[in-house]
Amino acid sequence: MKGFLKKITGNHEVSLAIILIVLFIVVDILSGFTFHGINNIGEIFKNNSLTLIMSLGMLCVLLTGGIDISITGVLAFSGMSVGMLMKYNVIKNVPLLFAIAIGIGALCGLLNGFIIAKGKVSPIICTLGAMYIWRGLATVVFNGEWASGENVAAMSEFGNTAGPYIILAAAFVIYFVVMKWTPFGRKVYAIGSNREAARISGINVDRVEIAVYTLMGVLAGLAGALSVSLYGSAQPTMQDGKEMDVIAACVIGGVSMSGGRGTVVGTLLGGIFYAVVYKALPLVGLESIWQNLIKGVIILAVVIINVVSQRLSRRQALARREI
Amino acid sequence: MAGKSGRTISATPNRSFLKTVLSWEGALVVIFIAVLVAGRIMSPSFTLDGVMFMMPQHLCQLFIVFPMAFVLIMGEIDISVGSIACLSATTACLAANAGLPLPLVIIICLATGVACGALNGFVLTKWPELPPMIVTLGTQIIFRGIAEVVIGAGSSLKYDSDNLSPFATYLGPVPIVFIVVIVVAALFMVLLSRTTFGRRLYAIGSNRIAAKYAGIGVNRMRFIVYALAGLMAALCALFLLTQIPAVKSDEFGKGFEMNVIAMCVFGGIATTGGKGNLFGAFIAGMTIVCLRIALGLVNVNDNVITIIIGVLLIVSVLISGISQILARRKLKNKT
Amino acid sequence: MKKILALVLVAVMAVAIFASCTQSGTGGGVEYALVTKAAGNAYNEKEAEGFKAAMDAQGITSYVIKHPEKATVDAQIQVINSLIAQGVKSIAIAANDANALSATLKSAKAKGIKILTLDSDVAVADRLTFCNQAGVQEVGQALIDAVYDIAGGEGDYAILSATSQATNQNAWIDAMKKIAAADSKYSKLNLVEVAYGDDEPQKSTDQTQALLTKYQNLKVICAPTTVGVAAAAKVLQDKKSSVKLTGLGLPSEMAAYIGDDADHSCPYMFLWNPIDLGKLAAYASIALVKGEIDGTAGGTFKAGETTYKLTTVEGTNASEIILGPPFKFDPSNIAEWKKVY
Repeated sequence: MKGFLKKITGNHEVSLAIILIVLFIVVDILSGFTFHGINNIGEIFKNNSLTLIMSLGMLCVLLTGGIDISITGVLAFSGMSVGMLMKYNVIKNVPLLFAIAIGIGALCGLLNGFIIAKGKVSPIICTLGAMYIWRGLATVVFNGEWASGENVAAMSEFGNTAGPYIILAAAFVIYFVVMKWTPFGRKVYAIGSNREAARISGINVDRVEIAVYTLMGVLAGLAGALSVSLYGSAQPTMQDGKEMDVIAACVIGGVSMSGGRGTVVGTLLGGIFYAVVYKALPLVGLESIWQNLIKGVIILAVVIINVVSQRLSRRQALARREI
Repeated sequence: MAGKSGRTISATPNRSFLKTVLSWEGALVVIFIAVLVAGRIMSPSFTLDGVMFMMPQHLCQLFIVFPMAFVLIMGEIDISVGSIACLSATTACLAANAGLPLPLVIIICLATGVACGALNGFVLTKWPELPPMIVTLGTQIIFRGIAEVVIGAGSSLKYDSDNLSPFATYLGPVPIVFIVVIVVAALFMVLLSRTTFGRRLYAIGSNRIAAKYAGIGVNRMRFIVYALAGLMAALCALFLLTQIPAVKSDEFGKGFEMNVIAMCVFGGIATTGGKGNLFGAFIAGMTIVCLRIALGLVNVNDNVITIIIGVLLIVSVLISGISQILARRKLKNKT
Repeated sequence: MKKILALVLVAVMAVAIFASCTQSGTGGGVEYALVTKAAGNAYNEKEAEGFKAAMDAQGITSYVIKHPEKATVDAQIQVINSLIAQGVKSIAIAANDANALSATLKSAKAKGIKILTLDSDVAVADRLTFCNQAGVQEVGQALIDAVYDIAGGEGDYAILSATSQATNQNAWIDAMKKIAAADSKYSKLNLVEVAYGDDEPQKSTDQTQALLTKYQNLKVICAPTTVGVAAAAKVLQDKKSSVKLTGLGLPSEMAAYIGDDADHSCPYMFLWNPIDLGKLAAYASIALVKGEIDGTAGGTFKAGETTYKLTTVEGTNASEIILGPPFKFDPSNIAEWKKVY
């Protein structure tokens, strides 16, 4: 029994998974057993696939001790580019459009990475500026237009296939493998744990950092195209302010904001947690108007529970050492 | 973000540090004057009267710049200030609409702000390992959520009294709020540069663990600073109510946190902590305000203004970053 | 040396910003202004398009169209203050809030600026007249009738709105509720919930799906907001749900979802022509500045070919100009209108 308890509190992923299961069961009961259906679970993943996908990039950024708050700006700019290309019949080929969105995202990310790594600019400021710029450009360049409905029909159709699920699964599998078993993954962790030590041990810190922000941009661009296909519309204001959701999902998943700590599995769980909360709030019979408040309380509660359980496990470990 | 290794305490800043700060402020003053001159040339409406007329609304955000500078100097961040302004304005409206006298309304408004800030401070000091950004993100949603529930579905909550009008008047050409901002700025500057409180802030931001061992009550300091941020957010709300006499829970004070952080950083305050001062932040805030006013007067697209501020932000930080690198390289060559 | 260089560089940049930007502005001498709710919104762009067209048709060049950066009162007041400082003669505003603009509009009024509103009104004392796209009663009536018709006279329906404090949406929903309560014809309709999608596609999607899960007997969803209606339409259509949708939406956004068969989620919906609304605001601005109307009810002015009359707002002595009844978009006309706006 003691060992079991230790396992729960000792491993962040396990304790989060348990919280998640409990939450899921509670919501299922409160919503009259409508929550566990396969359709509903599918929707949970689909509606939050943007957050889930971007949280992978954010994981790497946070692991290096950085942060990127420009992601939804990049998302909006790449999404709008795709939408407008379709609206004005320039390109209708879905894979090509995805490639374009990813390309735009990669360029935005590269720019961030370059300024942060080479110019020694603090990540939050560089990306704050970048957020202003890309969000602004998404409105200015495309004249405040929207693309939606029939204009983006091909993308919408893609959104109804298994495509988004496959992209989501592929992204997580790739990141899981890369972060766990490749030199790149180990370098990212090394930089976050101790930058100077990493540098001395021969890691090209600047290059890894640039790569990390570029990958974040790639995922933000991908999310831009995906957003167009999921919601069947491209608007300059899309996903405004959602960068904080992505960061919160990571932190709930146990990623440290000072770098060096966090896993792909944890990020996935954190993302799912966030997704379940979003999905559950309207279902459990709460007044619509209370939902934002409850959401905030849940986020705060979970990060606090995280810390408390960590403290507990540390204390147990200490106690064991004394014996 | 906090607790970066490899920094030393700079409670007594050395000469070269002072020099770089001074030069950055010098640059800011030049930019500020350039903005004023350029504004005067480009727009016939960019007169003293015109600027002072538009100033009050923009100036409200400056109240939050100072405590935010404190938070950043400690190496932390508070993104709940906009929501605190929203909730304080909500309680102020409720109090005023209930017919309470003005002093009581002000006290309730400010008390709400302090309470919100204290909640941030409580959570962050009770569990110091929590990242401030996530905690204040949580409270950001919570405070706005409370305001939403209190106001309820329907129309915005109106401030149904004109007893705030003394705050909206002018002393000659100068709006009252401008004078209050200057006074507050002076108070905060003295607090930061002339008291042990200020020196401790730098110490915490430079090296938290060293500060702790040096006997500084780090958690007490943090609590005070977050409460102070709440107080100033409430003051901002009070003055903003003279401009916007109604509260909408999803709008009031939205995005202030990022605007304010941008002003601080533009003013030379490092988000990594331990660096920067309030004069820079103040002049940077004024520069951005005047830039916004001037560009607004020549009818530049609002989103273009945002893009310009984004570029300005990155370039300004880039310049100081590059100059640091160059200085370090010089030092290396010498040795 | 480097510091001086950096200093000069920054100063040059600051000046260059201005030099490059003033070209895009219209320069001095602005007389007429339109302030929409926010940038990045197709509906607002269409209003601006109409305003521009009417001004151009009248040969007036001294006008400016301002889209605030965000859909907030704060951003809107910044814009209005800047217009007041420029000494414009009239400002037409699509207000983001009914109460919050009052201080700003009073100071505009004190400077002799003619204030009129369009799309979304402010307190009647703060403006001269209101270009009303369609009376609140008419919109409410049209929506509740649509729900009644689509539901077949009885059953559950839900409303998917914007934010909980959205001025227009709340007025329309209130009107719907009152009409439904007053007439026994609607007594078998049952409003199960007003959900708020906050005008975000993702939240609107979540809320729509939640409505479907929660209320198994739901027949109709009514979404009186352009973002919400598009999000709900996509959810229902993708699910091939038997629940139908109506509401207020842009034809170009909704064309893919409008149809009478089981493959389409929205049999019909309503809106007015935002281009015409922008035009009306432009002509009303000109008439106010020229003194053809002074904002009291009974006055008339010409907007292109049509003559509009200022009517009294119920229960006040203030005036409004009603563009016309809400326009119904159904399968027969959607193909034509989706090209227009």
